[in-house]
Amino acid sequence: MEFKLEAHRIVSISLGKIYNSRVQRGGIKLHKNLLVSLVLRSARQVYLSDPCPGLYLAGHPGAPAAPQQPEESAAGPPAGWGEPPPPASRAAWPEPEPQPERPAVPEVPRAGDAEPAATVTAAGDTLQGGEAEAPEAAWRRVEGPRETAVGAGGPAGVSGVCPEGPEAARGPCGCPAGDEDKLSAAPRVDRCLASRPAAAEPPASPPVCARKRGAAGVGGGPADCPAPGSTPLKKPRQNSEEQPGGAAAAAEEEEEMETGNVANLISIFGSSFSGLLRKSPGGGREEAEGEESGPEAAEPGQICCDKPVLRDINPWSTAIVAF
Amino acid sequence: MITGLGALTQDTPWCFSQVKGTVEIGATEADIISTVEFNHTGELLATGDKGGRVVIFQREQESKNQVHRRGEYNVYSTFQSHEPEFDYLKSLEIEEKINKIRWLPQQNAAYFLLSTNDKTVKLWKVSERDKRPEGYNLKDEEGRLRDPATITTLRVPVLRPMDLMVEATPRRVFANAHTYHINSISVNSDYETYMSADDLRINLWNFEITNQSFNIVDIKPANMEELTEVITAAEFHPHHCNTFVYSSSKGTIRLCDMRASALCDRHTKFFEEPEDPSNRSFFSEIISSISDVKFSHSGRYIMTRDYLTVKVWDLNMENRPIETYQVHDYLRSKLCSLYENDCIFDKFECVWNGSDSVIMTGSYNNFFRMFDRNTKRDVTLEASRENSKPRAILKPRKVCVGGKRRKDEISVDSLDFSKKILHTAWHPSENIIAVAATNNLYIFQDKVN
Repeated sequence: MEFKLEAHRIVSISLGKIYNSRVQRGGIKLHKNLLVSLVLRSARQVYLSDPCPGLYLAGHPGAPAAPQQPEESAAGPPAGWGEPPPPASRAAWPEPEPQPERPAVPEVPRAGDAEPAATVTAAGDTLQGGEAEAPEAAWRRVEGPRETAVGAGGPAGVSGVCPEGPEAARGPCGCPAGDEDKLSAAPRVDRCLASRPAAAEPPASPPVCARKRGAAGVGGGPADCPAPGSTPLKKPRQNSEEQPGGAAAAAEEEEEMETGNVANLISIFGSSFSGLLRKSPGGGREEAEGEESGPEAAEPGQICCDKPVLRDINPWSTAIVAF
Repeated sequence: MITGLGALTQDTPWCFSQVKGTVEIGATEADIISTVEFNHTGELLATGDKGGRVVIFQREQESKNQVHRRGEYNVYSTFQSHEPEFDYLKSLEIEEKINKIRWLPQQNAAYFLLSTNDKTVKLWKVSERDKRPEGYNLKDEEGRLRDPATITTLRVPVLRPMDLMVEATPRRVFANAHTYHINSISVNSDYETYMSADDLRINLWNFEITNQSFNIVDIKPANMEELTEVITAAEFHPHHCNTFVYSSSKGTIRLCDMRASALCDRHTKFFEEPEDPSNRSFFSEIISSISDVKFSHSGRYIMTRDYLTVKVWDLNMENRPIETYQVHDYLRSKLCSLYENDCIFDKFECVWNGSDSVIMTGSYNNFFRMFDRNTKRDVTLEASRENSKPRAILKPRKVCVGGKRRKDEISVDSLDFSKKILHTAWHPSENIIAVAATNNLYIFQDKVN
């Protein structure tokens, strides 16, 4: 579990470095960015392979089991993941019911510390189709999906990364999973909450986009994903799943990891995320235009304001190709 | 006369000699020294800084009155080598920081050196002028032209002594040959050619020709997204003009022979040590990236520096180094914080002494380390203003790793990571070293009885 936290932290630091390198004097330093991307890849691999128990629920009978998930062994997550029929889990993810969720979700980020449980309950209710839950249980459940998806990251590969999306969408839970100690999770939550109001962009858009993004990412792993834009994303991810070794695969993996990580990134960056959008220089756009790979090109259609973010978040590939 | 380090630490320790640079706290970033290099005789010591300036120090002739003190180094010439530029096509600023200086062997009264920033290499001629012609017919003393009609007699101009003037003139500019950032230059032993290496390519130049260069190594992949390693340093063999080595970010060294083919993409020798799986971490790749590679003076060995170690390789054995020295292994548990504060990307250099018996490299907290290859003893010294009394003997320093800290030891957590010694140089034949500590240049020598 500690590895996951560590890995997550390293991922966020690495992405910050890649972003900062674009504004450094003297241009992008290829060597340093290569090293950072290697660290990013290692951290991501650890993050995904660490069998973090957790159950992705949201709308399936497995929900009550969520609070116990963190204590379960690694055998738990796969079962938990497998429990909801995939369509249902997709339903729990944004696409099929974005509308009902959207009103609930934006409220969450704006919620102050005092209210997370309540709003989360609202969101949870929406998601679970009206199941009545105690606020605390709902609170845990909201955390649960994150952990679940993260736990599912092992078997499902990349999908573990994406739950940050919905978590980010829910705002308070945009914190890394992997620590079932609520005490330590709390400060992070507070931090996320605090950072949310500071976000310049309307909180609704990024969370929703992130969730869609997450779905696209999730869709990359399992074969069936209703999200229209996710299909192009599937291919590179599956390729990378099948060829874990090799430099080319590694590079592909690294690149697609970055695209798939956007939802994760949103939670990672928190308030600095809005900074990415604000500060995104024209140069970044130009770079991105030059090379954009298929998946990314396909995504803008479904992602609203993530587009500039996406391009910013994937500066490594864009930078080196443009370079 | 070179003595081994073992003798040095006991009988003839290192002493402070001089320090150059300002003491003030508000020293600008432009003053940070980015390269240090002795010339082939050790008479001159050149430094380059982030502001694009080159300062050359010259050693005083030893005076008979002060036999106890070897000649001091005093400023000989200062000039602006590179200026900041802007690449309009890529909207990139090109830093003026001097990445490397390399001297050419002296062939006449003038001195020649190569200096490079990220994109452009320049050949500078540094020459002295101590006479000037006087008595021109067509010009008066101020240089104004005289009306020929007023000239009634002719005289032969004569050379008269003047105050010594050292002038530096750029003789060649080798530009527009590198897409990526130049990290190394190396003068060939034929004294006619040199190479410049950037992240992905190495070019061979002739000193006389500035508008062409040969590309001899190109590791750029067809698809940049498949990039896995970059070139980090390159150097010509000291005696064989056809041989050079280059190091990579993956911790490997390739030796190439230019006689084999025009494009030396296929190496002649490949030096790599298998990774120790027990040391695997997120940062294994970063700390294995080689930051410097240097041939020994003999040409038999190469020395490489990665983040935590210095290794000596025998050219005849490719599968592992013959010696590995831990520079600051206590940092191994701190790699994550060093990654956060970017220190893990610091590129330390390493140097041989004149007899290849001792190697030296820098560390943090203004510490630098010397390893005696024969006695296997090592010492940690510090470049600081506190130890800067003339001829003060440098006291060996020790970093305490854990547990009880003895007096005079410094704990790992107290190390100042902003004070790093990346660049050092060793006089080619004597025990005189130059150590660059941020914006100060320290010169130490061994104690002479």
